[in-house]
Amino acid sequence: MTHFGAVVRNRRERMHLEDRRFSLRQVAQRVGIEPAYLSKIERGDVAPPSEATTIRLARELGEDPDVFLAMAGKVSSDLQEIVRKRPRLFADLIRQLKAAPDDAILRVVREVRDGDW
Amino acid sequence: MITLEDDRLVFRFPEVHENARCVIEFQRTLRIPDDDTDYPLPPGLGPLPLRQLDDYARRLPENWQRRGGVIAPMHQAEAMWIEFEANSGFPSYPFAVKIASGKVCAITGDTWVNHLNDDPQDYVTLPEQPWLDGYCVEKGVIRQFVAMRLGKGYTVEEQLTGAARHGGIQIAVYPMKRERYRELAARETRVRYAKMPPGVVACMAPCEMGLAPGGRMRQEVYDDPYGLGVWDQRRSSRCFVTIANSTQWMAITGERPPTVPPTARRYTDAGLPWFEWYGGDAAAVAGSKKLKSLASVARMGESEDETPLPENETIEVNRVIGLRSSDSTRVREFSTDEPTHA
Repeated sequence: MTHFGAVVRNRRERMHLEDRRFSLRQVAQRVGIEPAYLSKIERGDVAPPSEATTIRLARELGEDPDVFLAMAGKVSSDLQEIVRKRPRLFADLIRQLKAAPDDAILRVVREVRDGDW
Repeated sequence: MITLEDDRLVFRFPEVHENARCVIEFQRTLRIPDDDTDYPLPPGLGPLPLRQLDDYARRLPENWQRRGGVIAPMHQAEAMWIEFEANSGFPSYPFAVKIASGKVCAITGDTWVNHLNDDPQDYVTLPEQPWLDGYCVEKGVIRQFVAMRLGKGYTVEEQLTGAARHGGIQIAVYPMKRERYRELAARETRVRYAKMPPGVVACMAPCEMGLAPGGRMRQEVYDDPYGLGVWDQRRSSRCFVTIANSTQWMAITGERPPTVPPTARRYTDAGLPWFEWYGGDAAAVAGSKKLKSLASVARMGESEDETPLPENETIEVNRVIGLRSSDSTRVREFSTDEPTHA
């Protein structure tokens, strides 16, 4: 299985091919970590970073923060809070939907209602 | 279908294509001086909060409830811009997007209709158009979206129709037809990285607030490079965004609205950057004579002997960051804890 760091490195290097601002050093600077630490993350020498850093990395690299968090083995704190407030309801909902196809899950998502205007 | 995710409207058309997804966000920004100078693009100061209107139905007037959609707070005379993101899949799934305020098209000045027109073009296309800051008054020039109370005569709706019935912002998104996207994808055989967002139809409507034309800004609205026939007009989605002033917002949601943005003078004097967008070879639409004929907020205030825009002094912009369509990121935001991308 591809580790988190490899995905980060692959993504960053692809962007670096077209934009020199995506060097290891500049990305680390914008994300607010040391270049040496980002290098270790990319090599898989250290565990994935904190939730906040993972989210900043995702946004910097144009990726979905939830997807990056999942690859890092984490669940965002706002999702945890949602489940904590109504644990039985959401746990049951998630288990029931675990094998459902994407379009079926989208059908239970709350939509923005279009009215009469 | 439209969902509200982290203050962003996410439009999906899973029945058309799995990549048919686009995101629309309303960015807070500083108000540029309304002095007939052409300014560069101001920064994004973070998204306007959006809430499902239905969550507060009991506190809302009946005509607000009927519109559905979402609600957003804006201060009197506050400016905003609309950010489009259509980067789902490769190539990015294209969309046509209509934008109106008070049910008046921001591109042509015509009354809202639910279909697309190409003569004159009354929509923008994604991923070509990264954002829209105002009304298209000339080729390469817009007048900034500025929130004003309905009933005072400043809004585009009131100036063009003589009535203050709708207010707010209306947006509609149409995906490219599935078969045309497949043809497009087949042509894009060379693998390259592209970052752009997707789209649908949404509408933002005012209740007590509408949008009026503010200062002039250099921004092109691009010609449709695909042609009217590629858009799937049977599958559009709509959303109405109601604008509440800050007092209404607190009464309705119980939340504090964002703080008032800094003035253009304070922002610029702090050495912070403005922006310029280079869209490459893309052609721009001509601009609307109807919209060009409207009085800006400051001009109308002069004729009414009012001062609707405090701190409207001319400023000199020296620090401008160029952004290009070929860039893999299009950062036009300033935050105090991260450096801006040069």
